[in-house]
Amino acid sequence: MDQTNLAEKENTCKTSWDDYLKAYYEKPSSLKSWSGYDLKEIYTPADRPEENYEKDVADAGTYPFTRGIHANMFRGRLWTKREVVGIGSPADTHARLKYLSEQGGSGLNTIADVTYEMGLDADHPWAVNEVGLTGVNITSIKDMETLTKDIPLDKVSWSLITASTAAPVTMAQYIAVAEDRGYKLDALRGSIQNDPIHFRYCGFRPACPLDLSIKLGSDVMEFCTEKMRKWYYTTVNMYDLREQGINAPQEVAFGFGIAMCYIDELIRRGLDIDDFAPRFTFYVSCHMDIFEEVAKIRAARRMWARLLKDKYGAKDPRSMQFRFAVHTAGCSLIPQQPLNNIVRIAYEALTAVLGGVQSLHCCSYDEPMCLPSEKAHLQALRTQQILAYETGVTNVADPLGGSYYVESLTDKMEEESLKIMKQVEDLGGMEEAIRTESLDRQCESEAIKRQKELDNGEKLSVGVNVFTEKQEKTTPLGVQRVSAKSAKQQIEEVKELKRTRNMKKLRDAIKCLRDDVGAGKNTIPAMIEATRAFGTTGELLGTVREVFGYPYDPMETLESPFN
Amino acid sequence: MAKKRNIKVLVSKVGLDGHARGAKVVSSLLKEAGMEVIYLGMFHMPENIVKAAMDEDVDVIGLSYLSGEHLIFTPKIVEEMRKHKLDDVLLIAGGTFPAEDIPTMEEMGIDKIFRAGSLTDDFVQYIKDNVKKR
Repeated sequence: MDQTNLAEKENTCKTSWDDYLKAYYEKPSSLKSWSGYDLKEIYTPADRPEENYEKDVADAGTYPFTRGIHANMFRGRLWTKREVVGIGSPADTHARLKYLSEQGGSGLNTIADVTYEMGLDADHPWAVNEVGLTGVNITSIKDMETLTKDIPLDKVSWSLITASTAAPVTMAQYIAVAEDRGYKLDALRGSIQNDPIHFRYCGFRPACPLDLSIKLGSDVMEFCTEKMRKWYYTTVNMYDLREQGINAPQEVAFGFGIAMCYIDELIRRGLDIDDFAPRFTFYVSCHMDIFEEVAKIRAARRMWARLLKDKYGAKDPRSMQFRFAVHTAGCSLIPQQPLNNIVRIAYEALTAVLGGVQSLHCCSYDEPMCLPSEKAHLQALRTQQILAYETGVTNVADPLGGSYYVESLTDKMEEESLKIMKQVEDLGGMEEAIRTESLDRQCESEAIKRQKELDNGEKLSVGVNVFTEKQEKTTPLGVQRVSAKSAKQQIEEVKELKRTRNMKKLRDAIKCLRDDVGAGKNTIPAMIEATRAFGTTGELLGTVREVFGYPYDPMETLESPFN
Repeated sequence: MAKKRNIKVLVSKVGLDGHARGAKVVSSLLKEAGMEVIYLGMFHMPENIVKAAMDEDVDVIGLSYLSGEHLIFTPKIVEEMRKHKLDDVLLIAGGTFPAEDIPTMEEMGIDKIFRAGSLTDDFVQYIKDNVKKR
């Protein structure tokens, strides 16, 4: 080795060892929680001098349910391992459902694509480009038949993710198929997301005007209260709100505000709180700050119990139980060094379980790149299984309860969430906060904050603003593509159905639906009959929209074929 | 000498994709960086986007894709731009894509792609350095 090379080598070593020294003495760059609250070095009994265990915390299974809704928690039943599935055609989605159930998934969970959520049939000019890209398109009862083929609907627990005003159509399609196969409605188990109010914040405003959202969302709830006693008929989606960039207490406060819109409407319709509240569920985000997220969940349970008891006069303890599913935070995942996402998801899943989750969807590591590939989907399910079977987290209810820190942070989350709920109330309530776009402004300003935190290094993200590497050229477990052939076939089948169905029968069914909406009746019975007459998603929803004075087509391209 | 105007950027969602958080954040940050931004919002087809770009005489078109629709709409937008001779308009895209699609999108005619997890300085600097039309 000549002199120059040797010197160069020593220089490299010197730089490298300097970095080591720096890393050795490194301290955390932030002493705040994810949502920005200052944290102390250590928490002690002095942080909760007035703790009243029975009143504010209590054992799991006991009001106010801070520590969990069941006394024995996972000893009674593990959480439901429920991976979200939605890809291409109903047949493609069915195949993936079957695969995951063979691999140990314990709950079915299907998600509608953007076209279905918008209330557009597969052959709609706006839909044809995007059928099946983000979920499954269901245009007619035939698609629901394909999706549910050979699945015993009284044995499985099925979560139907249709959130928008298309949810009543989904419910009608599911009910019609189930009844036609001989199932009794009160035997069906599962849930429908049915939270159209929140969905305006997810890009579906044309399909989710506020009055129609409350009307149709509440129709599903009212119908199921009467006919489907095992069915959870709304999953108020705090997760989607959190994905807009807001912080943990905002997630709880805004979610509860939206839930109260539905509760107020059902009470206005004359339902008793204890008849319907036990069927309310929530979709919660688990983001990266383990303790803050557990505290958020514990605070939400306590707040919900008190809200239902004190504000709404609930008497049945089941009405006061905050039941929830978790979706690990999609927005915490990045495409840089993508396998690291597996670790992020595992921490978030652990958080959900430490928080006492009822049902869990782990994102797949490829979430920020494409729909889950089969291998990625399986890996996500395996993440849940490792957690459930290997780590011991299922043994004891609320294992973090009694931690000076977590109890104190739970109080903080409650205090902050209540403060935000009060601000919403001062604005005139949630409906008013939505109408005046106050919520939009808060989401937008929080989202900008989140980006700036990364830009200025206030929050670190490995692969984004620290330990960055050159961009990978391939996706480690392969890329999931949506079959163009499936989409084309789906569109052709819809066109064929529209050519061949009995129009007289359909017109009669659509007229009944229109009359029922006009008379202020619950829309679900007429929707069930209209879907049996092969009325499509766009047609059923369009008919209801027109009665409410909205354009038949949310995209304002098509006219009603029934006028 | 003609007064140098601010860089003008059009930001748009394409098709039905409603994931608008990124597009809105980027629009705000570009404004803070001194650019003039037209945020077109959601539900736009290639024809609208290119027409708006011409009407507004922009230097940059920024597309936001998060629903897997990037390979479907990109060729249509590029074609529309060619038809209207917008050769000197910088075309950039942001959002969620698999790494494998980046060369494909570049071949289709996107000048630069910023995936989720990009920092503000990166895209602001790229635009400042590469704006063709001034």
